[in-house]
Amino acid sequence: MNAAPVTMTLLQTCVMAVLQAICVVLFVFIIVPLTIYAERKVLGFAQDRLGATRIAGHRVGLTGWLNRGMWRMGKVPFLSYWRGLPMLVGDIAKLFLKEDIVPTKADRAIFLVAPALSLIASVVVFAAVSFYPGALFTFPKIVPIIGGLPFNGCITDMNVGLLFILGIASVGVYGIVLGAWASNSKYPLLGGLRSGAQIVSYEVPLTLSLLAPVVLTGTLNFNKMTLALATEMPLYAVPILFVSFFVYFTCGFAETNRMPFDMPEAENELVAGFHTEYSGMRFGFFYLAEYINMVVVTAIASAFFLGGPYLAPFGLHRYIMHVPFLGAPNGLWFVAKMILLLFTFIWVRGTIPRYRYDQVMAVAWKYLIPFTLILVLLAAMVRYAAPALPVA
Amino acid sequence: MFKNEEMEINMGPQHPSTHGVLRLKLRLDGEVVTKCTPCIGYLHRGVEKICENKTFFQGQVWTDRMDYTSAVANNLGWAEAIEKLFGITVPRRALYIRTMLNEFNRLASHLIWLATHGLDIGAMTVFIYTFREREAILDIFEAFCGSRLTTTAFRIGGLREDLPPGMEKMVRNFLATFPDCMNEYETLLSENRIWKKRTVGVGILKAEDAIAMGVTGPVLRAAGVSYDIRKAFPYAAYSEMDFEVPTRTEADTYARYLVRLEEMRQSARIIQQCIDGLPEGPVMAKLPKVLRSEVNEVYHATEAPKGELGYYLVGEKGSVNPYRFHVRAPGFINLQALPKMIEGGLVADVIATIGTLDVVLGEIDR
Repeated sequence: MNAAPVTMTLLQTCVMAVLQAICVVLFVFIIVPLTIYAERKVLGFAQDRLGATRIAGHRVGLTGWLNRGMWRMGKVPFLSYWRGLPMLVGDIAKLFLKEDIVPTKADRAIFLVAPALSLIASVVVFAAVSFYPGALFTFPKIVPIIGGLPFNGCITDMNVGLLFILGIASVGVYGIVLGAWASNSKYPLLGGLRSGAQIVSYEVPLTLSLLAPVVLTGTLNFNKMTLALATEMPLYAVPILFVSFFVYFTCGFAETNRMPFDMPEAENELVAGFHTEYSGMRFGFFYLAEYINMVVVTAIASAFFLGGPYLAPFGLHRYIMHVPFLGAPNGLWFVAKMILLLFTFIWVRGTIPRYRYDQVMAVAWKYLIPFTLILVLLAAMVRYAAPALPVA
Repeated sequence: MFKNEEMEINMGPQHPSTHGVLRLKLRLDGEVVTKCTPCIGYLHRGVEKICENKTFFQGQVWTDRMDYTSAVANNLGWAEAIEKLFGITVPRRALYIRTMLNEFNRLASHLIWLATHGLDIGAMTVFIYTFREREAILDIFEAFCGSRLTTTAFRIGGLREDLPPGMEKMVRNFLATFPDCMNEYETLLSENRIWKKRTVGVGILKAEDAIAMGVTGPVLRAAGVSYDIRKAFPYAAYSEMDFEVPTRTEADTYARYLVRLEEMRQSARIIQQCIDGLPEGPVMAKLPKVLRSEVNEVYHATEAPKGELGYYLVGEKGSVNPYRFHVRAPGFINLQALPKMIEGGLVADVIATIGTLDVVLGEIDR
């Protein structure tokens, strides 16, 4: 973030944006299948079983070839545990190859658009997520068009990054509600209504829990917030941030429809909830959107509450700022923290049961919202007490 | 333009948590259930009629297939009903082995109940844990009679064979590890806030309603009625066993959960007594090659894992098969309490309540 402002032509801007977008999308579409695989393996670990070890019944074709190759790994002591890796390919390939069924009574246009809306909303959020402050590297001069330009750790370093993230993330619920409504079926309808009520309710405490860091840092810029939260918070702000983190993470579970708040799907009550009528890749879009949302939630939690690219969170980083390797920002810390939080998502799913719908709503309105309001008030008091905090 | 109307949905027969092919017609006002009508019969095979056309020896294989999660308990009821009909005395060693296997079956059945009940409420890890222990029990069944699920474990007059070599070790190994496994389930569920929120006060069935509807088993005992046929009308070797009948008074889903867990502990206790005090001797009574009945009838009730399992048999003079056979299936009678327990509750409570009734459609539809 301390890089000197670089002036770019329109063409250069477009090329850089496309390049960075491709990188981020690649990152997302690599980490999401890995998360799905990790979910199987971690749940397997928690439940005293192996988890994925093969793609069932595949003996021919690409997956068959992978399966046979992986089967040989079964004889190697350490690798044998990982021989389910072709599952990554098999899962996605299955979704692509399955028949895409549109019910005759469905509202066709909306039915087709809804999954895309859900997926796009969750991917676009990454436009404002910063994995590393400033330039990762600079293109050498010999590269045409973009030679000499820096490749930044985020696509757009906009001054209202957090607002953008929250705004786009809330579009995703339209995909769910519209898809449920357009299915013209009873179980999806119930799932969609639950989902609409739940996600709208949890957006309030989620936003309020992020408001405490905003008040403390005085900015909405992603990079500036990350830096200020990691290095400039007074010690007495640590409890506020710590509690905000828990509230945010709890709301994150609800926003991504994960256990214990997976009301919209609640497979044991509503069959498959809002996506009951979906099949093939349209179901896959919803499925991917859920996991991408998980990645988004963990990315934001990692950036604002766990220090992001800075090793130590909650303003404690300033004590190790001048340590050679540990003090410097590093994209790996960011990803490592995300992985830790993703693990927590899966861990919780394997451990606790599901809330009932009315209890989910009670948690949001009766406990989380009043609680976060108090947190915002406390944050404002800290801000008043520590005028040395940065002002955007 | 806007109008309020109730929505009618079909839950089942194909639904992840209707435990087989139970179909519920639910009328929903939003998420609140205003009316619930259970529809059954999707798994009807006519077991009672089939058994009337089989000899007394052949009928037992059909009882396996009624409540397929507790085949041994079904076998026991059938064998004892016919022994009662013909006045056969079973050797004491056979009674002990029957009691032991019956209690193993209670464990297996309750483990399945805990697994599916937990899974319905979303606790998916318990599912795998309980199946791990159930696997050990099924191995014991396999060692005893060669099959795991549809056991046809007993013969009229006793047992086909004595315990196989190594069986005692299997039983003792199981008993040594089982209490720890129980603690594991309890750690995951008993004091879990969400588990309690989902089960405390849900699906209440008061004692007087339960008695009026003929509900038996853990559902009745969770309402505070200490009625267990093993104590009230002892059969097999239960009169020689020292065990307690757990009861609770809350009559809700959580109380039934606690009652069943305590029953599992008591079952382990009974198995311990059986294996420690196993008498020596033959395991089969002397029987004629063909059993020909007189004109008489018998009703024999046993405490199956789900409740009172009664077999009503009518004999015909000189006949090798029963003239009339009727099963008082506990699941069938317990199921009629379902509307009373869930009307006024939420959709999610329906799932919890089906789970807590522990219905098996093979037995209800017969």
